[in-house]
Amino acid sequence: MTDVLHDLPPGVEQPQAAELTAEGIVVRFQGLTAISDVSLECKRHQVFGLIGPNGAGKTTLVNCLTGFQRPTSGRVRLGGEDTTGWTPDRFRKNGVARTFQAGRLFRDMTVAENVEVTALGLGMSRRAAHRHAMAMLAWVGLGDRADTIAGTLPYTDERRVGIARAMVLSPAFVLLDEPAAGMSDAECDDLMHIIAAIPKEFTCGVLLIEHNMSVIMGVCDRIHVLDGGRTIAEGLPAEIRADAVVISAYLGMEG
Amino acid sequence: MTEPLVPHAARASLLRRYWPLLALCALISAIVAVGSLGSEQMQVTMTEMLIRLIVVVGIYLFIGNSGILSFGHIGFMCIGAYAAAWATVDPAWKQMMLTGLPDFLQQNQYGFLPAVAGGGLLAGLVALILGTAIMRLSGIAGSIATFAFLAIVNSVYSNWESVTAGTSSIIGVPNVVGPWVAWAFAIGALVLAFAFQVSRWGIMLRASRDDEVAAKSSAIGVVKVRLIAFVVSAVIAGVAGALYGHFLGILTADTFYLGMTFVTLAMLVVGGIGSLTGAVTGVLVVTLVVELLRHLEAGVPIAGSTVHLPQGSQEIGLGIVMALIMVFRPTGLTRSREVPWPFTRRARRRKMEVAPAR
Ligand SMILES: Nc1ncnc2c1ncn2[C@@H]1O[C@H](COP(=O)(O)OP(=O)(O)O)[C@@H](O)[C@H]1O
Ligand SMILES: [Mg+2]
Repeated sequence: MTDVLHDLPPGVEQPQAAELTAEGIVVRFQGLTAISDVSLECKRHQVFGLIGPNGAGKTTLVNCLTGFQRPTSGRVRLGGEDTTGWTPDRFRKNGVARTFQAGRLFRDMTVAENVEVTALGLGMSRRAAHRHAMAMLAWVGLGDRADTIAGTLPYTDERRVGIARAMVLSPAFVLLDEPAAGMSDAECDDLMHIIAAIPKEFTCGVLLIEHNMSVIMGVCDRIHVLDGGRTIAEGLPAEIRADAVVISAYLGMEG
Repeated sequence: MTEPLVPHAARASLLRRYWPLLALCALISAIVAVGSLGSEQMQVTMTEMLIRLIVVVGIYLFIGNSGILSFGHIGFMCIGAYAAAWATVDPAWKQMMLTGLPDFLQQNQYGFLPAVAGGGLLAGLVALILGTAIMRLSGIAGSIATFAFLAIVNSVYSNWESVTAGTSSIIGVPNVVGPWVAWAFAIGALVLAFAFQVSRWGIMLRASRDDEVAAKSSAIGVVKVRLIAFVVSAVIAGVAGALYGHFLGILTADTFYLGMTFVTLAMLVVGGIGSLTGAVTGVLVVTLVVELLRHLEAGVPIAGSTVHLPQGSQEIGLGIVMALIMVFRPTGLTRSREVPWPFTRRARRRKMEVAPAR
């Protein structure tokens, strides 16, 4: 029944990189060091959580992992391959998709078109692209919003359209930048189920940036904690929960 | 997943899908049909309006879908106008005045339609070369580049005596364009612009207009779809130029410069830069305003004496109308929407009209 969900145009295949790795990433903006020596590895079939207070450098790290930001030093590897100098488009072609913290939907187009256009970009026919978009929207629970103009959607639905749009690319990794921000508990719960299903449904690894601890603890296989651009902990959810340093960083953030 | 839960435009009836195009074509046809019964002056005004409609629709195809302001399209109009005139003017005159023309143009006289096609093609070719260079520029940088192009075209065509007759003008261009010829091309331009905007390229280009970064990470070849639109819109502008030459009968480079650029962009902005309906509405409304002001400038008899507005009222009046519309309707008279489908039940339509102004 979910065949349409995995449609790809002829000649396009899902990339097969097994892991996306940051090695000793440093990013400096003029004087400010946004990231200092951060290393992590997202694996296919896993949901990898990236948490930390505002300004910790999470978005900057995602930008490095998707080609939007060149690290000052350190390197990003995709399936072992050095990606130095890759453009965002090259990352995309090699299986790295992302959503944006700011949504960045095509706001004057319908929700269906927002998703459809990505399928068209990949080279699908109009008909196939439309079917595929509708299936993807149904999958994120927005089937009934297809004809809504994207700019009028509630903030929280925007993020789900963003996820649908990214998943159309059939990525090997998808990086989600704070998809649950501003959501109610019930909405968070829905979103958690969607995110948790991505690795199995799409054989796609997830890197999830999130503030909401219950979302993070609920779906992540592994968690990496940043604060002030530095790694302060990494481990299984249970380990992170018990980690005193993390708890204090979070108490600091939420207080 | 078998059937989507909600009907979508793509599966709705064909009539509904093409409704905005049908409505606009019907409107233009009705205006021409009524106008063709009017005076000689009316025919002239209407022909000129229809040619401008073609230019504005051409400009809309690029600006409306890409979100990049172009000041260069009147340059394409100029290129098309001259190219067509080179083909149709009497060879004896060309051999005397346009000594720099290649032999196949100098020695021969071609028909009107091949000449128009040639004008459109040359404009398209130049757009392909220019566009390859500048379509990767976004925002103001791209717009300035198109403006530079306009200035260059004007300067070349004003000074290249041996092919454009420079300031002494090309005369004797056959006067073959009347309202019905212009109408036929206007319908063609509307069909082309609408077909583009519902095509896959149209959708991808509008995505890049709304968010270039997101478009690029959605597998959209932004530069490529922009270039396609730029070339198609230049061809339309070139064809309009060819028609304009064969309407005026005489060509001077300054006809295709700042004045024309201002009027056509004003039309687009007044109607609504983001929809084909906006382009058409803008042409109709601005033509009406300009004609009205021109009558007032020429003088109207009121109570035994003739009252007339001072020279220049046309430009000032148009400027004021534009400013007012920008203040009260920043997205144009149509709010950059297409003609709505009139047969939707009211409750549902209200829901759909939550669509935003940008
Ligand atoms: N383009 C930039 N130029 C300068 N400073 C930046 C830029 N992007 C991010 N920063 C700074 O880097 C730090 C990390 O930001 P960011 O990665 O957005 O954090 P987070 O996503 O964890 O909230 C912040 O101090 C931010 O101000
Ligand atoms: Mg962030």
